[in-house]
Amino acid sequence: MRRPLSKLAVLKHSLTLILVLILGMSSVYALDEHAINVPAPKGEECVEDPEWMRVNHFKTVLNHRDDTVIRGIRTEKHSLKNCIDCHITANESGDYARYSNSEEHFCASCHTTAAVTIDCFSCHADRPEHVIRAARQQSQLDALKANSVHVSATKLILNTPQP
Amino acid sequence: MNDINKKYTLLNKSDVNANQGVNQGKRTFIGGLVGASGLAVAPGVMLYQTAAAKPLEQAVSSAVRWGMLVNVNQCAEDCDDCVTACNDEHGLWPKEGSTTDSQWIRKLTVKDPSTGNAKSLPMMCQHCENPPCVDVCPTGASFKREDGIVLVNMHTCIGCRYCMMACPYKARSFVHETLENQLPDSPRGKGCVESCNMCVNKIDAGDNTTACAEACSKTGHEAITFGDLNDPESDISTQLKAHGGNQIRADLGLNTGVRYQGL
Repeated sequence: MRRPLSKLAVLKHSLTLILVLILGMSSVYALDEHAINVPAPKGEECVEDPEWMRVNHFKTVLNHRDDTVIRGIRTEKHSLKNCIDCHITANESGDYARYSNSEEHFCASCHTTAAVTIDCFSCHADRPEHVIRAARQQSQLDALKANSVHVSATKLILNTPQP
Repeated sequence: MNDINKKYTLLNKSDVNANQGVNQGKRTFIGGLVGASGLAVAPGVMLYQTAAAKPLEQAVSSAVRWGMLVNVNQCAEDCDDCVTACNDEHGLWPKEGSTTDSQWIRKLTVKDPSTGNAKSLPMMCQHCENPPCVDVCPTGASFKREDGIVLVNMHTCIGCRYCMMACPYKARSFVHETLENQLPDSPRGKGCVESCNMCVNKIDAGDNTTACAEACSKTGHEAITFGDLNDPESDISTQLKAHGGNQIRADLGLNTGVRYQGL
């Protein structure tokens, strides 16, 4: 015959139940993509099933990199360039996120949450080409401006009559 | 000591000559066979591939061998548009404060001391048929693509720089600094060796030219011709047939894909 549960035991069991519920719910939230705020892509549909891609994208990228570098196969479907062109989009203020910005960059947002440290973007472009070229032009312009300010300041100093 | 040296050089030379003789003999023989079996299998069907754009999903093949011909007489000494175009195409932006920026192509002035005759020319990876950089690479990162382009697979390059030592043309650079703003078609980074890739991205896209050749014709100098060395009707092959072209350090027997006229 089962003994009736003591008050302490009831408390213990209910606490355990609450804990399990809380843990279960939080893991559901962690799996929810909105909880890690993955930025929206440009296109409507991924080249593969998104569920499959979440688990296997590195395999397709790895295969494709050897095909491209060694055999010169340049199909767009599984190319990193294609991923970046579609997934890295401008935010409301028109800026494109860098990989170092784990909140807004598509790849980084998930890699950070999943504690993945992968070194693609110390060599590969983390933004579409037109964005990089525009950034490069801007930095050149800035350098020119800074230089001209320096030159005019020097002229001013040189042309000022000394007391 | 002198005698030993002499003997050694003599032996070496005759070895080289003998080897070349055998190889070339074989090549001519095979070439003859191919010729006999017919370059044209049927009217309109050729064994060699013309330099049309290949489909994106098709792997490159040894039916083509890409090369460049530099007419040194048309290369202006004060012009470096090829270098600028290369840097812009591949995102080789100069890094402030760095003295070790990569050079995929550079302008050289060579002078014959006996006559004082000076020539200006672009120097880059010569895309050898027998590349010494590939021979020495310990990881297989330095490799020759089927279509004759010599590349570095940066995924397997460990940055040992053995290839830089082996290259007689000093064509390769090592990336010493962390890079920024690399372009999608030319991924590159610190710790890897790199060099002219004959604009593989453009070739695979079917552009049928390189950034340097394009820039050179834009200036009107027309000193660089890009094309398929295997296609006897290509621009580069007809020019080579008509006027010839030298290899730099032809004595090394590397059979370079970049040839020079007027040297």
